[in-house]
Amino acid sequence: MSVMLENPLIVGLPILAAGVAGVWLLRSAWRAPGGEGQAARLLGWGVIVGTIAWPAWALGPYRGPFEALALIPVAALGVVASGATIKRVRAGRASKAAGADSLAPEPLDRPTTRWRTTLRWLLAGPIGMIAAMAVGICYAVWIPGEPQTRLLIGGLIVPAVWGGAMAWTLADNRIIRATAVLLGTAFLGFGLSILKGFA
Amino acid sequence: MSTKAPARPAAQPARKPLLSRVPADFVRAVLKGHSGLGLAFAAAIYLVCLTGSIAVFAQEFQRWEHADAPRLTSASPEAVQAALENAIVRAGTAEHGYIQLPDAEIPHLVVNLDTPKGDEGWIADGNGTLVAGSAVPWTEFITGLHISLHLPRSWGEFLVGLTGVALLSSLISGLLAHPRIFRDAFHLRLGGSRRLQEADLHNRLGVWAMPFHLAVSLTGALLGLTTLIVGVLGFALFNGDVDKVYGLFLPADLPEDARAAPVIDLQPMFAQLEIQSPGGRVDLIQLEHPQEAGGSAMFQVEREPQHIANIDSYAFDRSGKLYHSAKAADNNLGEDILASIGQVHFGWFGGGIVKIAYGLLGLGLTYLAASGVTIWLARRRDKRNASPGWERVWTGFVWGQPAALALTALIAAVVGTGVGSTVLVSTWGAVTLLALAGAAFAEQRTLGRWLALLTTGALVATGAAHALLHRGSDPVAWAIDVVFVVGGAALGGWILRRPSRFSASSGAS
Repeated sequence: MSVMLENPLIVGLPILAAGVAGVWLLRSAWRAPGGEGQAARLLGWGVIVGTIAWPAWALGPYRGPFEALALIPVAALGVVASGATIKRVRAGRASKAAGADSLAPEPLDRPTTRWRTTLRWLLAGPIGMIAAMAVGICYAVWIPGEPQTRLLIGGLIVPAVWGGAMAWTLADNRIIRATAVLLGTAFLGFGLSILKGFA
Repeated sequence: MSTKAPARPAAQPARKPLLSRVPADFVRAVLKGHSGLGLAFAAAIYLVCLTGSIAVFAQEFQRWEHADAPRLTSASPEAVQAALENAIVRAGTAEHGYIQLPDAEIPHLVVNLDTPKGDEGWIADGNGTLVAGSAVPWTEFITGLHISLHLPRSWGEFLVGLTGVALLSSLISGLLAHPRIFRDAFHLRLGGSRRLQEADLHNRLGVWAMPFHLAVSLTGALLGLTTLIVGVLGFALFNGDVDKVYGLFLPADLPEDARAAPVIDLQPMFAQLEIQSPGGRVDLIQLEHPQEAGGSAMFQVEREPQHIANIDSYAFDRSGKLYHSAKAADNNLGEDILASIGQVHFGWFGGGIVKIAYGLLGLGLTYLAASGVTIWLARRRDKRNASPGWERVWTGFVWGQPAALALTALIAAVVGTGVGSTVLVSTWGAVTLLALAGAAFAEQRTLGRWLALLTTGALVATGAAHALLHRGSDPVAWAIDVVFVVGGAALGGWILRRPSRFSASSGAS
């Protein structure tokens, strides 16, 4: 194992190669008409999952999968780039039709007021942060385990919940609902945490 | 008798993929939030990602800044002790300090001390003789820009942490707003409509590199928000005493004893480590009051190579008595997470191949931030609601940052490690402001093109100047010079061949 660890290419290159193979199989399935790509799809996902798993044996239970998760996206983007279609550069079209072939949805054009906008950003920012802190601290207080583990997982919960709250409050048209949920979460989370204390 | 074939049963309509069944209004609402958040944080995300992609190679840049320093594979206890004593003679007195021992990433023996004159440091040779100062101003400039934007530390870190949360949030909303995620998984249409091309690149980069994006944004957000989270934890649960939170992870301090004493002797401690941690490699020594009777030294020893969190720590008092030991193999999950966060965030856990992957994926994430605004601007232009002013400003910022960073690198290459951090920060700030001011005067394509050409020239000049002025033998430093020259030349060639790329709008114009 030490040779593998000292020379990262010994394991890194096979991970890259396997990643390319897995994603290439997925692309074959994607290009196949109808349901003909089912076998390639299953095999592709199997190769990718296996490529995340086997480096654990070669590099260790943490280092191996993390290395695979860093290298497989590079392989995947390489496969995607290799299949790029090059189109002739189109002269500018200052019309709505430009890019219409993407069929991409347009952002909602919702009416708003200044106070709703202000409240929305307060919810996404400081109020979302306080609610996320409350969830993280509540986890650290109430979930059993080593104190360091509870604190670190609670700490990781904070940005994850805050990010989720940010995405939700900026999207949700019913802003009063978002306000009630975030304020309720903050009060409940801090209340329950202070009630028990950190033992 | 009919000759008609019997009617075939009507085919069952194909079941739509799950994500395609997401209501269109929901997708449009999420897209609205994604767009607003992206616009609000685009500049910060872009800058943090660009500097982060460079900071992945911070260790290599340290070597680049000291290309002619003696490279060591290991340092004997005698050499370490001699280096410490020589450094204290130079400094006069030291309150704290740390000694970095040579390893594969940075093959230098470095002593840094906290002195009444401020932080001072030296690189030592294999005998412990000090041969050069240890300052790495450009590396510190880049990492400082990434970690705190060179703002007052706690504010800057909070802002970067908030940027990490905004990035995380954008990833979540970006996924939710993309019901065609599987149907479009391999679409990459280059050329043609600029908006379509940018959207394809934005979405493919966003989806396929999602594990990387999530890992760096979550760990980055946690690193940036640590002070705040610990402060709230201390306030809510420990009567405001944040030291109790830190105390769960750090060894207790020895009682103060400020009586003067000879420089602490590390050699008996090295001897004990052979027993405590056989086969381990001392990575770092942290010194507390090395010239006082209450002095101590904590050794970080690298073991357990199959783990990302692989550092044992042993603390000795002045007499050589071990008063704290913590082995990585005995870590609980929380201690493992804490020790891994920085490694996972910067990609320092898997050697050069993972660093290169992180660098490429980081540049992809940087492009993701830039293209989000580009798509928004293109969409406005398509709707006959163009924002030519914002198009110029965004072009000035996007191309101004590489130019500013490349110019700071050129200054560091020419002046060397004596360059002050104020010079580098001022240069970066001035070029940033000039690039933004240029948006008021120059046409968008011209502005982008000239800033990109400035970047090209600075990169090539940096590599050439460094190779000429600092002819060390370190292959890593040479490799960086080659990357500067070849990368700069490639960028220049691309600029000259594709002038139409220097437009933040649909490209079209």
